[in-house]
Amino acid sequence: MRPEERNGAVRRVRDQFPVGMRVLAVDDDPVCLKVLETLLRRCQYHVTTTNQAVIALRMLRENRDLFDLVISDVHMPDMDGFKLLELVGLEMDLPVIMLSVNGETKTVMKGITHGACDYLLKPVRLEELRNIWQHVVRRKFSNRERANVDGYEECNRPSNADFDNVLDQTCGSPDQSGRPSKKRKEYYSEEEDEGEESNSQENDDSSAPKKPRVVWSVELHRKFVAAVNQLGIDKAVPKRILELMNVEKLTRENVASHLQKYRLYLKRLSAVASHQASIVAALGGSDPFMHMSAFEGLQSYQGFTSSAALSSFSPQGLLTRNNPTSFGIQGMAASRPIQIASVNSTISHSIGDTNKYQLSLPGTSNRPGNLAQGLKATSVGQVQLPQKWIQEETHDLSTIISGNGLVNGVPGALRSVADSPLLQQDLVERRQANIVIRRSSSANSEHLEGTTGVSSCLMDSHISQQSGLLLSAFSASAVPMNGSFSGTNVAKLGATSSGSTNICPSHDLRVARDNDVGDSSFGSVILLPPDTAQNQKYLNFGGGSSARHNMDGGNADTLLDAKLAWSSLPTSQPPSTIGSHHPLSQRPNNGSLGVKMIEQTRASIAAPQTKFDMFISGDILTPKNARDLSFPRLNSELSSSSCSFDGLLNSIIKMEKDDASFSDDLGCDFYSLGACI
Amino acid sequence: MAAANQLSALLNNMYATGLLDEQFQQLQMLQDASAPDFVSEVVTLFCQDGERIIGELAKLLEKPSVDFDRVDAFVHQLKGSSASVGAQKVKNTCIQFREFCQSRSKDGCLKTLDSVRTEFYDLRGKFQTMLQLERQIQGFYPK
Repeated sequence: MRPEERNGAVRRVRDQFPVGMRVLAVDDDPVCLKVLETLLRRCQYHVTTTNQAVIALRMLRENRDLFDLVISDVHMPDMDGFKLLELVGLEMDLPVIMLSVNGETKTVMKGITHGACDYLLKPVRLEELRNIWQHVVRRKFSNRERANVDGYEECNRPSNADFDNVLDQTCGSPDQSGRPSKKRKEYYSEEEDEGEESNSQENDDSSAPKKPRVVWSVELHRKFVAAVNQLGIDKAVPKRILELMNVEKLTRENVASHLQKYRLYLKRLSAVASHQASIVAALGGSDPFMHMSAFEGLQSYQGFTSSAALSSFSPQGLLTRNNPTSFGIQGMAASRPIQIASVNSTISHSIGDTNKYQLSLPGTSNRPGNLAQGLKATSVGQVQLPQKWIQEETHDLSTIISGNGLVNGVPGALRSVADSPLLQQDLVERRQANIVIRRSSSANSEHLEGTTGVSSCLMDSHISQQSGLLLSAFSASAVPMNGSFSGTNVAKLGATSSGSTNICPSHDLRVARDNDVGDSSFGSVILLPPDTAQNQKYLNFGGGSSARHNMDGGNADTLLDAKLAWSSLPTSQPPSTIGSHHPLSQRPNNGSLGVKMIEQTRASIAAPQTKFDMFISGDILTPKNARDLSFPRLNSELSSSSCSFDGLLNSIIKMEKDDASFSDDLGCDFYSLGACI
Repeated sequence: MAAANQLSALLNNMYATGLLDEQFQQLQMLQDASAPDFVSEVVTLFCQDGERIIGELAKLLEKPSVDFDRVDAFVHQLKGSSASVGAQKVKNTCIQFREFCQSRSKDGCLKTLDSVRTEFYDLRGKFQTMLQLERQIQGFYPK
């Protein structure tokens, strides 16, 4: 490498990206390295080579700003390429391409799941290398997306635009939430804009450590990972990790920082994996990453259902236990329109997660075709939602976004709601809807079922009025079983909403969303917290008689642990005497259950949808309200509202019909997910 | 242009017999003013490194208890470098070799080591001839 040359060369060519892109090539085999280097030079990249992974790592650590991309062989004597990949992914935010003569699916999978942005087979061809610059661009953009939801659309501009300009741009759009874009990485950060923007978020921290840095050797990192695994990612807190690691001179802060990065790393893994969704999905396995694959599959499914929003959808699912994942799966299982609605609200987050991201929701107004807008335009128009903000642990904006798309379809239903005068009033009164997203306890997450509770809340108390409204509207729209449910209840629901607050707060993240969003999500609270396999099954498939038992237990615990409450909710479904298969029948019962819950635990009541794993947490104060929440109606409404949703609904319905296959699928998904975790 | 004809005949023969594949052509295409000796550098590296690896393999397989993982690593490396120069036959034999490694068959490994060695030296001889011819040609046509 010729550093003195580099600067000049880089400057000269920087406006001709990818010419001059700085690539670090690592291969222990001199022949391969020579060929690779020549190939890269032919692509007019700036190539630095080394035949040892440890040297590569040192170079990267010392000059982390001097490289845009790393290409590494997989098999190297001094350090496994995967380890290098992992460390690079952990410590710096660089795209890494793996290179091997071994093209076995397993190995490729390992590379991808370890965070490789690509996996090339030897002998590499010039054509392949000519294209690798895209990973650099992609990484930059994905950072932005994570950093700034508001800028989501802007970030999607064609990547072939002038590279520097694009990157230098702040993707943040006029930002209603007032949150500036948090992360901004300049392509040639060492050369420009220094100090213009402080790196405020963890991602940037990784490339700009502020404190004396502990070098996380492979050994140290392994201990760390072992400790985290032992504790469970959700329960892994720095202090305990530190205890388990038992390493001198390591401070809690070191561990905390590393943990943060590790979580980001896991996040990235899932993001990367998403690109490989189809492949991964196809392969089942005990590999931890497989669970991701399932996730991916689901996500893609979601994408399918929610067309519009998905286009820009980038699954940035965090850990394996992404709620979205489970969510998606469940959604599939549920195969009902309601699910779609629920999708909106789902946000994935890890309870234990120390990292809390506050993400400003993509301003509904900012984005064309926003759900929120649609909603406003239609029924909710009367209601104004001044504040929009979402706090998410995870960056899964994508999920939210997709949800929005879904919401758009709903307008018909909303309208019906609006029609009922009572509801309208309520809506108008309540301006802010907060969506609380709940994280399932670690136990839950392990089962894969991160509980996602989204309760739209109005006023300070998180009241899911809107959801209630929606529900009521649905019920009003005469669905089978409707008789028992009265539209008037809806209004009550809104009032009752206070209960939800209690529940939500428990751990985790609250996501305050636009009212619109809240509205859009019919069931404001989605709970996917099956503690036990039984619960899961139950949730997925519909009520099992055994559920009751669980429920009791759940209730007892609910006061203390929100999670429990959630789990109990699912169990509540069973009680419904009506055919367990029929979602409608269950609903009414659920309502009653919810009431019980409230009484006992004050927990918000989620109206569980039988087949859907989602529970609508209308915070219901009174049993009546709960009843009102009957979901079946919603479903019917949705189906009736067809409109653009028809396609989706139909497909969904189809899925439902095929119960057997459906259940099988779920089983598989859970299995894989559970295994992975 | 006897040397040029010989070189071309040699290369044709190497392609025809499957000793080389199109990857070698890729390498030739990469050789230009910015890397005038690229092919000869790579070929020389390959010959040196291949010989070293084969020596290591022989040593490993001599031992009473064979460390198949290490053997596998070396074979893997040889496979990588032979693939990179387009040494098709050597590469294919390496694939077999790895299968024996994975099945922990010492006999199989020893047998394939022999074939790898034979093929490698065959190729190396031809490469050396090739380089010689190229030098001759370059002598006639200095850069």
